Amino acid sequence: MIQFKDVGLVYPNGTVGLKNVNLTINDGEFVVIVGLSGAGKSTLIRSINRLVTPTSGELYVDNEDILKYRGKDLRKLRTKTGMIFQNYNLVKRSSVLKNVLAGRLGHTGTLRSIFNAYKKEDVALAYESLKRVNIADKIYNRADELSGGQQQRVSIARVLTQQPKYILADEPVASLDPPTSHQVMKYLKKINKEDNLTTIVNLHFIDMAMEYADRIVGMRAGEIVFDGPVSEVTEKTFEEIYGRSIREEDFRGGSEES
Amino acid sequence: MTNDKKTLTDQVPSIYPVKTKIQVTIIFFVVLAMYLTSMIWTQSQMAGGFTGALGNMFNVMKNFFPPNPEVISAVIGPMLETIQMAIIATTVAAILTVPLALLAARNVTTFKPLYYITRTFLNILRTIPDLVLAVIFVGLFGIGLFPGILALIIFSLGILAKLISETIESVDMDPMEAMRASGGNVFQTISYALIPQVLPQYVSLVLYVFEINIRASVVLGLVGAGGIGLILNQQLQFYNYPNAMMIIIIIFVVVIVIEYISTKIREALI
Ligand SMILES: Nc1ncnc2c1ncn2[C@@H]1O[C@H](COP(=O)(O)OP(=O)(O)OP(=O)(O)O)[C@@H](O)[C@H]1O
Ligand SMILES: [Mg+2]
Repeated sequence: MIQFKDVGLVYPNGTVGLKNVNLTINDGEFVVIVGLSGAGKSTLIRSINRLVTPTSGELYVDNEDILKYRGKDLRKLRTKTGMIFQNYNLVKRSSVLKNVLAGRLGHTGTLRSIFNAYKKEDVALAYESLKRVNIADKIYNRADELSGGQQQRVSIARVLTQQPKYILADEPVASLDPPTSHQVMKYLKKINKEDNLTTIVNLHFIDMAMEYADRIVGMRAGEIVFDGPVSEVTEKTFEEIYGRSIREEDFRGGSEES
Repeated sequence: MTNDKKTLTDQVPSIYPVKTKIQVTIIFFVVLAMYLTSMIWTQSQMAGGFTGALGNMFNVMKNFFPPNPEVISAVIGPMLETIQMAIIATTVAAILTVPLALLAARNVTTFKPLYYITRTFLNILRTIPDLVLAVIFVGLFGIGLFPGILALIIFSLGILAKLISETIESVDMDPMEAMRASGGNVFQTISYALIPQVLPQYVSLVLYVFEINIRASVVLGLVGAGGIGLILNQQLQFYNYPNAMMIIIIIFVVVIVIEYISTKIREALI
């Protein structure tokens, strides 16, 4: 369970990233965070694994306030929260397998990982994860030889190999075309169901949010302005969240088949 | 239609702002003036002017021929010493460079004071010419290979650490963030996300510095830092020009061969 209690974040240059955020995310939920560019979606999600640190309030992950974490505690928190990025963030010159094994870093000793002396189970797990996202035939390819959609699947495999409790995905489909976007979202949703992994996804496409979310959280100017199950959400809700009328660019469109 | 075109070209702005153009022109003429004055000045300083110097050079050059092939067997040892000197110095510098380059890279060393201290230290290292270092160390430790190696280490460390820290600064930071986000510590992040990105550049730069070191170690020998340079200096001092010429030819061939091999390896890497 993740609980934000009056969380605020002001960046060193004075920009307000988060303001009075109160939010509880229960285990197993698939939450989509929506909001315009600059609304604070990334800031919210990156607070959970402390890539940024809120400047006020309390933030509980599994009933522990993580805002005071440093060093080892912090790495343990990050081992528990897997992250998926808009730009996949793979090591381009390394092989797919090595990229996926990097998911084990938090579980593996420094020397063991530096000398690639992974346990057999870890390698098996990495391979299994690649199979789950249908890309096991590429294990020895260099990451930069893959297409965007394939790279994002590798990064999902990396997170699976990490065996986290939470998945944080920051605009996972923003760099992909519509069919590939749906494919990636379907994998995330499948993993959420099969492994009961709590998943938080930042999206700014209305149709994708409606299609995959169980629950939608709307943000504007660092504040949470909507929070409810997807069944309560209409286009009117989005107009309120965005503070403007809906436009065509707010939709991704397409489907996996097209 | 034609009218449209005319107004279009009329409005086209120049690629550089007028101010930049004036500045560049002024700088160009200042530099040109500096060249001209220094040329005229050196001409008048040289006894007999440029033509006199040429004639003198020809007279000296005559003494160098024919080169004496009998010295070959005697100088193979010192030549190997020179190569050894370069190899040892490059290896030590390549190892010491790693921590220094990391500390001098802004994106890795986020603790500002440490970054500035390392940068300044490297800048100071680079301001001391290798010859000066060699003279100092020969004074401290006596004639031989050791002061030469020491001078080369410090000299190449200055170049290597600077170039490699710049390579590190230009690296893609996204994968580093991913490693941190998956719970990796500093060493794991560096070895998984940074090293694969800089390794080809690193090897290439080390080989490049090795090439420089081969040449530099010859020159250092001239001031007493051992190896073939030392022998060459002795022969020159005894006016044994044919021997000196043979040594120069050997050095030339060895340097060319080593540079060729090293260039081929570097090409294969990038
Ligand atoms: N490192 C930073 N330093 C200063 N200000 C920042 C920093 N990161 C983000 N901000 C600011 O904080 C606000 C929220 O940014 P954030 O990245 O969380 O928005 P977002 O909703 O993820 O937007 P996008 O859809 O464009 O990714 C913005 O005004 C942004 O300019
Ligand atoms: Mg963002």
